Amino acid sequence: MTARRTLVDLAVALVAIAGIAVILEVWARAFRVPSYLLPAPSAVVARMATDAGLLAREGGITLGEAAAGFVLGTGVAFGLATVMAWSRPLERTLFPLAILVKLTPIVALAPLFTLWFGFGTAPKVAIAALITFFPMLVNSFVGLRSADLQEVAFLQTLGASGGEIFRHLRVPSALPYLFSGARISLNLALIGAVIGEWTGADRGLGRVIFVANANLDLTILFGAVLVLAAIGIAANALVGAAERRVLHWHPIAIAT
Amino acid sequence: MSVAIALHRVSAGYKSPVLHDIDLEVGNEVVAVVGRSGSGKTTLLRLIAGLLEPTAGTVDLLGVAPAVARRRKRIGFVAQDARLHPWRTVRENVTLPLEVNRTARTNGHIGPDEWVARMGLSDAIDAYPHQLSGGMRQRVALARSLVIDPEVLLMDEPLASLDELTREDLRDELLRLWEGRARSVIYVTHDIEEAVLLADRVVVIGGTRPGRVRGEVRITLARPRTKALRREPRFHDLVEEVRGHLQ
Repeated sequence: MTARRTLVDLAVALVAIAGIAVILEVWARAFRVPSYLLPAPSAVVARMATDAGLLAREGGITLGEAAAGFVLGTGVAFGLATVMAWSRPLERTLFPLAILVKLTPIVALAPLFTLWFGFGTAPKVAIAALITFFPMLVNSFVGLRSADLQEVAFLQTLGASGGEIFRHLRVPSALPYLFSGARISLNLALIGAVIGEWTGADRGLGRVIFVANANLDLTILFGAVLVLAAIGIAANALVGAAERRVLHWHPIAIAT
Repeated sequence: MSVAIALHRVSAGYKSPVLHDIDLEVGNEVVAVVGRSGSGKTTLLRLIAGLLEPTAGTVDLLGVAPAVARRRKRIGFVAQDARLHPWRTVRENVTLPLEVNRTARTNGHIGPDEWVARMGLSDAIDAYPHQLSGGMRQRVALARSLVIDPEVLLMDEPLASLDELTREDLRDELLRLWEGRARSVIYVTHDIEEAVLLADRVVVIGGTRPGRVRGEVRITLARPRTKALRREPRFHDLVEEVRGHLQ
């Protein structure tokens, strides 16, 4: 059931992309648009086939950085949200700091991170983590606070400890929020990794796009963007499938 | 009769006082607390459960402070319109109280499945709360508060959100439950007839804020009771007597 839904989601996405490709193809051929302005989709696909090995390898690197950043950012955000849900004073202290982090433009930080962490994987992971952090923090915090107060009172009358209430009630209550956060953050983490690669790297899709841009090599540029999009769509479908499975008790899952 | 719940000159409130100078002793009996909305009924329950500290006076539960009784797992609590844990099945909801605060000894000799069966929910034991009607959910709430076999049972308008027919069924269920094991029950309701039908004693609280005890009516109707009682003149006399304290 859930597997079928995931396939249907993917099929719909593919049909939509194919539709846009047909329009672009017709346009590019009808008006003889030069390939350094807008390559015909057929040319992009042909280039992707030729350079499939390269795109798969670089795409894998970017995916790895984004995934590591997502896990790291989510972990830190959930930990901080736990602390903030625990204590009002800490919430008041930490939340403005979180907003400061959120408001600092990533493009301003990216070169700095390369300076601090070098040209390796670390700065890309750090940027992906940073970009993941804020949506996950807000969603974790609101989720942990969303626990039903009557149920909290019920567990308290049983002498349940704060830790038990956290584990049995607050965390499950937060799950729907965590999944919405993950849907936003996963794609952001991919963008974060690409921005990191853009500012200094010898690997990854960001690097491919950067070099292609410099050479006006638009077929490989669009090819890299398409691979990135494919990764994003697949990741979203995966989260959706996990959400339907884990939240089978939740109105969202029941309605779909 | 041993006293299980004792409130001595208790006042309580949040930003403004809600209850003032409450004296109440409950033994192995069912005491119904009636009052208008906002009269402090729920606050009274929160006090007894130790979820709220009194601003004056003392609350005693089984000879100790409510917080201690709580840690010893001696309190059962049923709220109005219990939402349960939606990610747990009926059985898992009923076993939940056994999974927390494990160091406290529970004297429950009736297992979770048996409680589910007694509440007539055996067919729904693997169902999730969203698959149940309101009445079934309240039965689960009842089962999960009884699974630890508490000496003290606190009920906050447990039938208020149900339709009339379901309410009648569950009242019968409660009456049968009272016949079984002797417990100290505080049953908060705004339904006077329900209070008279279920309780050994009806305590009326209210008045202008902060609320106080306005009166008390001993319900001398013999047990076992059934809903047929509602047609008897004596029942109506008692209801009128309670109503008199509410005016």
